[in-house]
Amino acid sequence: MGRVAERGVTGPGDPAGHAPPYPVGLRLEGRRVVVVGGGHVAQRRVPTLLTAGAEVTVVAPDVTPALEGLAGGGEISWERRGFRAADLDGAWYVIAATNDAEVNVAVSEAAEERRIFCVRSDDGLAATAWTPASGRYAGMTVAVLGNREPRRSAAIRDQLLGALRDGLVDVRAEARAPGVTLVGGGPGDPELVTLAARRAVAEADVVVADRLAPRELLGELAPDVELVDVTKLPRGRAAQQEEINRVLVERARAGKRVVRLKGGDNFVFGRGFEEIEACRAAGVPVEVVPGLSSAIAVPGRAGIPLTHRGMTHEFTVISGHLPPGHPDSLVEWEALARTRGTLVLLMAVQNAAAIAAALVEHGRAADTPVAVIADGTMPVEREVVTTLEGLGAAIEAAGLRPPAIIVVGDVVGLARPDGEG
Amino acid sequence: MSSLAPLEPGCVALVGGGPGDAGLMTVAGRAAIEQADVLLVDHLAPTGALAWAGPAAEVIDVSKLPRGAFTPQERINELLVEHARRGRRVVRLKGGDSFVFGRGKEEVLACAEAGVPTRVIPGVTSAVAAPALAGIPVTHRGLVHGFSVISGHVPPDDPTCGLDYAALVGAGTSLVVLMGVANLPAIADELLAHGMPADTPAAVVARGGHPDQEVRAASLDRIAAAATGIEPPAVTVIGEVARFAVPTLAPTHPTLLEEIR
Repeated sequence: MGRVAERGVTGPGDPAGHAPPYPVGLRLEGRRVVVVGGGHVAQRRVPTLLTAGAEVTVVAPDVTPALEGLAGGGEISWERRGFRAADLDGAWYVIAATNDAEVNVAVSEAAEERRIFCVRSDDGLAATAWTPASGRYAGMTVAVLGNREPRRSAAIRDQLLGALRDGLVDVRAEARAPGVTLVGGGPGDPELVTLAARRAVAEADVVVADRLAPRELLGELAPDVELVDVTKLPRGRAAQQEEINRVLVERARAGKRVVRLKGGDNFVFGRGFEEIEACRAAGVPVEVVPGLSSAIAVPGRAGIPLTHRGMTHEFTVISGHLPPGHPDSLVEWEALARTRGTLVLLMAVQNAAAIAAALVEHGRAADTPVAVIADGTMPVEREVVTTLEGLGAAIEAAGLRPPAIIVVGDVVGLARPDGEG
Repeated sequence: MSSLAPLEPGCVALVGGGPGDAGLMTVAGRAAIEQADVLLVDHLAPTGALAWAGPAAEVIDVSKLPRGAFTPQERINELLVEHARRGRRVVRLKGGDSFVFGRGKEEVLACAEAGVPTRVIPGVTSAVAAPALAGIPVTHRGLVHGFSVISGHVPPDDPTCGLDYAALVGAGTSLVVLMGVANLPAIADELLAHGMPADTPAAVVARGGHPDQEVRAASLDRIAAAATGIEPPAVTVIGEVARFAVPTLAPTHPTLLEEIR
């Protein structure tokens, strides 16, 4: 917080040559704070004071309905009359927020006599304290003090909070317990990353990333963040996963916040659960930030809905990494062919022709529309529309290579004419 | 085209809002909301995300549309077109993904027919995310190589139910049931009748991704009883993976909106 606030007040000097204010955070819990005035300025200030735990007394003949409600609920005290200097006795902080300059002057003077800092809604130069534009994010307070330019301060505050929630500001100083977060990076387009994913990556000490993880996110990492590129770990499916599990556990045990970043969603053929089991076995805390699965988002961006009223009310997402009939296959292609929903095949480019043949053999129409979308949502995205019987030849003719999503069903015919606007 | 390209006046953006926590919205989804002149919002859309809308943006809760001469969906389609034709930037925000039982394509087609350009911004679907946030992977190596997502809003014996439950039981995939709270007893019975083992693990995840997420787990023959009292929205997972259910795997502070004003 300090760094941010200081930059706000030591920027361009006050044109009138006044010294900049000294930033401080007041801890008002249980302390008397007097707000003189009951209009909209007072209404805006009081909730923040209450959040800070202050004992708030409002002095004003009339107040807004919201303040009246707070008084009625016992959250604030309301002195229903004009200001008297003795109102400030015992107060730690004062806000003069009436629309009567004379009253505000009287409040200022009474505060000055008692050595109480006093904010003035009407005349910042006459005040002994200023209210910054502030907001809170993840337990941190961001406060911006301009040269009495509330709009500019508020705009800067908004930008800072926006940058924080976008993960553009390093918030790792925030003490977080070590552990592992599995983060789904979505289909590839950096704009299809979730806000929670960006935040998790921004808070990480170590990022363990796959080939399909959104690269733009990695480009924003602070220089001292360790990036473990999984593609450079030892080859072989089993060995590589064991090595990933080992790295996750080892770094977390060393007190690091570790993010396991993948394309799509970690639980849709992402082997995420194997990593959870490894963490649990080692006693390492683990949590999950779901991502957009390519199985759904890639067809969606290509204009293909997986369900459509009156057409299909179900869909199945299946891995095609093993061909039908393979001894290790866990998919019953015969029953799958008899379901009436859309089929989405992942990791199936290699076995597409054999899968299409099995589906037709077990009852899907040979002319069922099929879309193959390679590198979905990326600038190099390519799409081929064909039929089940034409699938193998179409992939070969177009030279499509993984990663690709294959969608089988009538919904493919709905893709156009809208396209992407 | 990039999802972040500015929304043009007269354009409709369909934004998937994810399972409930605004932090699970996409960067593109948030940018669309920030630019919107009018938002048409479902009751399952993440309400926290509305804080990103401009002060002048109009918010229309379409779950409160009266039933009249047109069905609510027809009226929504009309409203999208009407507002877009008045040159406004229209965002249609709903829970989950607009193309997974979201009727999003109907809205896209209605706009296309009226010459209104649309943009689709996918969202995190509850079908995958709600189980994940309860520790349930819809796929797991060596256990299951796929998952089927069905709508349970129509009971299996209803003539309009187009599902082949026998084929679904035989497919060997994890079964994810959306909108199936009311019909869960009938759906479980149907699966048992088609030979799914009674001891198949099942779990119901209610309000997945919300702070008050609730998980009930039981075998298939007991899941309906175990889910008594659960209110929608809830996602049911049936299959071996459901035995991994835990109360929550959500990050300890998933919400990104903390006190942002």
